[in-house]
Amino acid sequence: MSTAAGTVGATTDPFLHPALFYRDEREYLDGTVPFVREGLAAGEPVAVAVPGDRLRMLRDALGADAESVRLLDMREAGRNPGRIIPGVLRAFADAQPAGRRVRIIGEPVWAGRSSTEYPACVQHEALINAAFRGRTVTILCPYDAVRLPGHVLEDAHATHPTVIPAGSRPARDSEAYAPDAAVARYNEPLPLVTDAMTFPFAADSLPDARHAASDEGRRLGLTGVTLQDLALATAELTTNSVLHGGGGGVLRVWAEDGHVLCEVRDGGRMTDPLAGRRPAGRDQRGGRGLLMVNLIADLVRVHTGDRGTTIRCWFPR
Amino acid sequence: MPYLTVRPLEGCRGVRAAGEIGLATHMIWERALEQAVREGEAVYYLELSEVTFVDVAGAGALAAAAGRLGDGRRLVVRRPPPTLRRVLETFWPDLSTIEVSVS
Repeated sequence: MSTAAGTVGATTDPFLHPALFYRDEREYLDGTVPFVREGLAAGEPVAVAVPGDRLRMLRDALGADAESVRLLDMREAGRNPGRIIPGVLRAFADAQPAGRRVRIIGEPVWAGRSSTEYPACVQHEALINAAFRGRTVTILCPYDAVRLPGHVLEDAHATHPTVIPAGSRPARDSEAYAPDAAVARYNEPLPLVTDAMTFPFAADSLPDARHAASDEGRRLGLTGVTLQDLALATAELTTNSVLHGGGGGVLRVWAEDGHVLCEVRDGGRMTDPLAGRRPAGRDQRGGRGLLMVNLIADLVRVHTGDRGTTIRCWFPR
Repeated sequence: MPYLTVRPLEGCRGVRAAGEIGLATHMIWERALEQAVREGEAVYYLELSEVTFVDVAGAGALAAAAGRLGDGRRLVVRRPPPTLRRVLETFWPDLSTIEVSVS
């Protein structure tokens, strides 16, 4: 039979998304190494995207088998939770031949994720379910049951249809599973920052908005590629406001600790929770703006509601 | 107001664009790209050294035009703003009918 993580609950969806709770290194390896080896033995493609220290531990435990596994440091590849679905999970799963189950270990939540990043992490975990519905894919998500606070472990029960409790093997259904409610709960308002470069824009001032963001980004210490990224993100977000957010909005740029932040507020409402998280088809016209922002920013936070949408993104300085 | 001008190149098949490629100028850019596809030349040059910015949709229009070229044809994009190359590499890394030239 299969390991816990491969066991199907009372569902007909071939997509499996268990949370694995671990208390120490041994439980981590007990929960992940057989999952990888079983996949390899069945000829299934396997990827591991976990923080660097765990990645080294798992690579050492796998020995020569590690060479057959796609290994990624989630701290880099998944720094912005909004890019994990398009840039890590689907980038791997979609590149595999059809017919075989794809196995991925993904650890997007680790002790040390900031309180600003965390809401985006929960929304990401919840949206994986919609993004992979119907796919023959297993995504196993380890959670550090010792170092992560209780509310994080509770949220993992809401975002994963099945859970593997610490020290046990079989996966069981999560009674608290409610991914849509988790997305809504972490759709947190982003309070107005008053001490920021502020630029109201409309269709005829899109280039001015971009220049204003660039000038302020440069003044706040951005250079090179990151300054170009700020300009590109500003262009994409402000253009989206003109096209879909009521014809215009307000751009703000400011610095916080090690980042320059760029925020666009408009009167639109985002109704597609997976916007910016689907890889674009090669021949798809348009619709890549928010995806590009997710791919280049360190963090993207969104708040959307009846009174409008705010998108805030972080660039390192 | 944002602008984009497109003039024929001297000495080879292609155009020199100047200005920026964004929401207000996509139509002009797409018309230039349609022309490039229609010309039927094996190599068609897009001189972009005077273009200050290309957004993701502008890069997408370029990729779509390159995808419509027949066998043995290509677009050579000269000295584009740096984000264009970045966006092309992100979304169309295997598009062999676009050649980006920095010189």
